[in-house]
Amino acid sequence: MYKEAFLAALTVFICYGGNWLFGQSMIERPLVVGCIAGLIFGDMRTGIIMGASLEAIFMGAVDIGGALSAEPVTATVLATTFSIVLNVNDKAALALAVPIGVLAAFISMFMKNVVMNLFAPLVDKYAKENNPRAIAIMHYSMWFINYFIFSLITFFSVLKGAKPVQQLVNSIPDNLMAGLAATGGLLPAVGFAILMRMLWSKQLAPYFFLGFVLVAYLELPSVAVAVLGIILVLVTSFKDKQLLDIENKQKELEMRPTVSASGAAAGSESEQEEEDFFS
Amino acid sequence: MKMNENISKEDRKMLNGIFWRSFTVFASRAGATKAHAPGFMYSVAPALNRYYKDDPEGRREAYMRHTTWYNITQNVGTFVMGLVASMEKKNAEEKDFDAESIVALKTSLMGPLSGIGDSIFWGVIRVIAAGVGISLAAQGSVLGPILFLLIYNIPAILTRYYLTYMGFSLGSSFIEKIYANGSMKILNKAASTLGLIMIGSMTASMVKFESKLSVPIAGGKPIEIQTYFDQLFKGLVPLGITLLCYWLLSKKVNVNWILLGVLVFAIIMGLLGVV
Repeated sequence: MYKEAFLAALTVFICYGGNWLFGQSMIERPLVVGCIAGLIFGDMRTGIIMGASLEAIFMGAVDIGGALSAEPVTATVLATTFSIVLNVNDKAALALAVPIGVLAAFISMFMKNVVMNLFAPLVDKYAKENNPRAIAIMHYSMWFINYFIFSLITFFSVLKGAKPVQQLVNSIPDNLMAGLAATGGLLPAVGFAILMRMLWSKQLAPYFFLGFVLVAYLELPSVAVAVLGIILVLVTSFKDKQLLDIENKQKELEMRPTVSASGAAAGSESEQEEEDFFS
Repeated sequence: MKMNENISKEDRKMLNGIFWRSFTVFASRAGATKAHAPGFMYSVAPALNRYYKDDPEGRREAYMRHTTWYNITQNVGTFVMGLVASMEKKNAEEKDFDAESIVALKTSLMGPLSGIGDSIFWGVIRVIAAGVGISLAAQGSVLGPILFLLIYNIPAILTRYYLTYMGFSLGSSFIEKIYANGSMKILNKAASTLGLIMIGSMTASMVKFESKLSVPIAGGKPIEIQTYFDQLFKGLVPLGITLLCYWLLSKKVNVNWILLGVLVFAIIMGLLGVV
């Protein structure tokens, strides 16, 4: 199992660490991770198909400002490893992926927000010493340390967990399995709630429900929803822009007399304007 | 591009340096208080090293300024990096430039830029890319992951590149102008609108809850609870749970508790035979 454990940990390191080293290029998403894990364990097709199912489950799991609802890399790698190497059936492997992802997210957030705090004083120190080289070295070392420690989790999970997982999967009763599968269906809700938290306002809330109905009832694919959304946004933005131009012009008109003449004259002029408006 | 016209060769070299370094901006995370400050310092180093070449004291102060919390969606964050480069240049040249304004502007842009960036990149482009990728990958085709990466990364990298240049050439006066005349508001509103539509659509397609509960009726067909839910409003339960999660988040409940709650809820539903 040492070889498999090492390979699985390497996949986590490449995909998770690589994603953040190369501009969040999405190689941490299950679609890609499944493919790579499949390639490494010699069954790419299974890996890709597992990746597709997991991508849908972890759709809402994006790292936004350090708040993470589920960590997809460890979950995908372990699920794919269990499925290909241990021959755990796909459904069970997918169900296990969800609790693994949530647990991994706890650990990842703890590492990044708490453990890595150890380096915060060094940031100040090197800045004070005017030492860009040290900052660069520290920057890359922190990257390595964080993702190296993180991939150890996968190493030991495969090494020590392989047998228990097999026994566990065999002994899980059907209704618990159904419950685990249901967690996969509900998990995206938390991710979307995190996204909504940034965008929501009373005026814009109806658009959320519009998007919902477009898919729930009209069953439009996401490209169609995106195009409709863009059209809608363009139309409303043009209108907003027009309104804004009018507003700005009005402000300018109001400003001008105050600049050129005294306050009294400006007052009477705006009164005049108001009278015109109501007549 | 018009904005690249009055950029000198050295400027170009510096901006390309920032562009390439910016890929690693989130590689390290120095805890919750500084977040990605080291990555930001590393990314703008070409500018700081260039403009404070003969002024070690100035460079020290510049580095110390940027040890504060930094976090912007990385594909649009390069705009701020270019902007900071142009302001550091001014600061190095003019003695009476207010250096604090650099950090103030940087900080004030984090919220609005991340809002726009997150909704466009996470909410729209990633979702479309994943939609195409999933449908191909579900049949076992390697084109799934490949197309997914291409559809997401091509616009992401182009945006990252051009915004580095835009931030530098447009400068802080441009930002103040679009804040003052309200264009920033329109941009933000447009991005939030699009983001909310996409999140709504994802809630409908990705959040799933189906009850297999049925009520037996003497002498007739059993009543399936799910069909009642569907007749009432399609996707009622997923929508309700998503809104509940949102409400709890807005009440400042820790996201970990919400996650745990959702997991426990689903497992209990499974044990009770509801799902």
